[in-house]
Amino acid sequence: MATRIQFENNCEVGVFSKLTNAYCLVAIGGSENFYSAFEAELADAIPVVKTSIGGTRIIGRLCVGNKNGLLLPHTTTDQELQHLRNCLPDQVVVQRIDERLSALGNCIACNDHVALTHPDLDKATEEFIADVLGVEVFRQTIAGNILVGSYCAFSNRGGLVHPHTSVEDLDELSTLLQVPLVAGTVNRGSEVIAAGMTVNDWTAFCGSDTTATELSVIESVFKLREGQPTAIVEDMRKSLIDSYV
Amino acid sequence: MPGGRKLPAPFAGFSPFARSLIFSAAASSCPKPLPLPDASTSAADADADAETPRQGTLPLVPERVTPSPVARITPLNARLAFSPVDMPRPPSKRAKRAEPSSDEVEDRGSSGSEEESFSTSGSDSDSDDGEESSEELETVQADFAFFDPKPSDFHGVRLLLKTYLDSKPWDLTGFVDLILAQTTVGTVAKLADDDDEEGEGNGAEKANSSNNTDDDDLFGLISVLNLGRYAEQKCIKDLKEYLLAVCADKGTKKQLRSLLEEKASSVGLLVCRRFVNFPYELVPKLYDALFDEVSWATEDEPTKELQDSFRFKHYLLVVRMLERTPAKHKSKKSKDDDEPVIYPKLEDEFFHELSSWSFTFPIRSEQAAQQEMKNYKEMGLVMAIKADAVPKFRKKLEDLVSE
Repeated sequence: MATRIQFENNCEVGVFSKLTNAYCLVAIGGSENFYSAFEAELADAIPVVKTSIGGTRIIGRLCVGNKNGLLLPHTTTDQELQHLRNCLPDQVVVQRIDERLSALGNCIACNDHVALTHPDLDKATEEFIADVLGVEVFRQTIAGNILVGSYCAFSNRGGLVHPHTSVEDLDELSTLLQVPLVAGTVNRGSEVIAAGMTVNDWTAFCGSDTTATELSVIESVFKLREGQPTAIVEDMRKSLIDSYV
Repeated sequence: MPGGRKLPAPFAGFSPFARSLIFSAAASSCPKPLPLPDASTSAADADADAETPRQGTLPLVPERVTPSPVARITPLNARLAFSPVDMPRPPSKRAKRAEPSSDEVEDRGSSGSEEESFSTSGSDSDSDDGEESSEELETVQADFAFFDPKPSDFHGVRLLLKTYLDSKPWDLTGFVDLILAQTTVGTVAKLADDDDEEGEGNGAEKANSSNNTDDDDLFGLISVLNLGRYAEQKCIKDLKEYLLAVCADKGTKKQLRSLLEEKASSVGLLVCRRFVNFPYELVPKLYDALFDEVSWATEDEPTKELQDSFRFKHYLLVVRMLERTPAKHKSKKSKDDDEPVIYPKLEDEFFHELSSWSFTFPIRSEQAAQQEMKNYKEMGLVMAIKADAVPKFRKKLEDLVSE
């Protein structure tokens, strides 16, 4: 299910959070509403950890991770690193890497199997990604933008990319990632998909400006709706039909 | 395929619904096998090297690769001196567009994109004609124009209003929608070439024009909303609740309550927001545009009710100011050097002098601590001005700029 939330009147929820299948990171600050929204959805399944990275709240754009690991930029302090190592499950490898392009969340997009990276990323970083995250790495651009981590969001079940992605690019990316892709927007026409939403295999969080149309596209491409439309009709049948003649 | 996986038929496992969402002719007609990265047949759009690199990488598609926003924004930030050589003429009586007097429109200033990592401009023609480069600063020529608010300005206006009330969640989206819906009274300031215009700009820029108009850089906004007309809107209710909650003084609270409730139909909430480096010469024009539009609206609006809704008796303003905190220890600098109050927007000082009443309230959200501003604390300031005081205000503003 997709939920609409806000961080301190800011609809860019993908900036202040990082959601994977094994854990969820949330920025400190603002009201508790943001944190509680995540807790309410995820608490039984995965740990929700409050953190900062390099003293900042823009954690979603600075780090990248999946169920296998988490990569942090060199600006992460030792205390933050230790805090994350303590709070995350043991099978998640937390690694701080030295990469010039330190906004890892903007440069790298990944799910549990594949990662797309900024074309100028270091070779060493690419190897770290492959080792720590356990993924295949592809250097790509999306609609001519090199910040692949910003302009697409994908999980193991589907993906949403920049609205101006051409049909050929969509096909190409879809083959690489092996998931269905859709070109769309979030937060009422914003093209920066990954900043406006965060998603894992069973749930998604979008900014509160996201329109109903955008939300339905997200729910369908990421396969978040429980079951088929017919299931809903069967549930409602009792209330819709009074008696059979 | 790297990793030994077999390439499946494209989209075979996906539901028909998902397939219908994917804008691919291939999916709907006969699926054709897509070229493999390390196949000898080059991909159709590989303008780059014919030699495809080893596994795990794809040839770069160089068509519309733009320099990263970081690279683009950094040189722009260095050019802090705006010197619009030819001022845009003030908006003519009923027309909103100021004719750009100079044809040399260069880069757009960088938008205040704090946490957003993208920059909207697709143009890589970075020809800045710095006529004089004073020290390290180059001068950029920019033409600003005033426009009526329209729905596509949503993101720009939202960005400007993000810090209007503190960090407490309120219906900001609704508030922005109200401002954009009121096209007769209200002005946004953008760069002069931002609207769809046929004859301007070179071909390369126009090719991206559809991208550009989606996310214009808005530099300034001014509008006034009648509190009585919009009293039922959730955003106005949130705003009233917030102001009554932060008002500490009982006497002022009574006056505030009377303006917000009994007299609401003759009270206008004056909203003026702009970026820090907005050229100050344009500010009096912005206010002139607003007050002129208010007086035209009292004659031009279609119904009497609407006309009356613009006959304001009071204006209410919610702004920020910096108050000097009492020094914790004796510093070398004498306290008298520092101003007790700093107004980031200079005209707020005039409003404050002319106001019937005002109150301040503390701001909870984090502030960027700059070196000079270390001794100051950011406070919110709410003031009420009688509509009769407006001509005095306009005169003071003119005098400030003309000196």
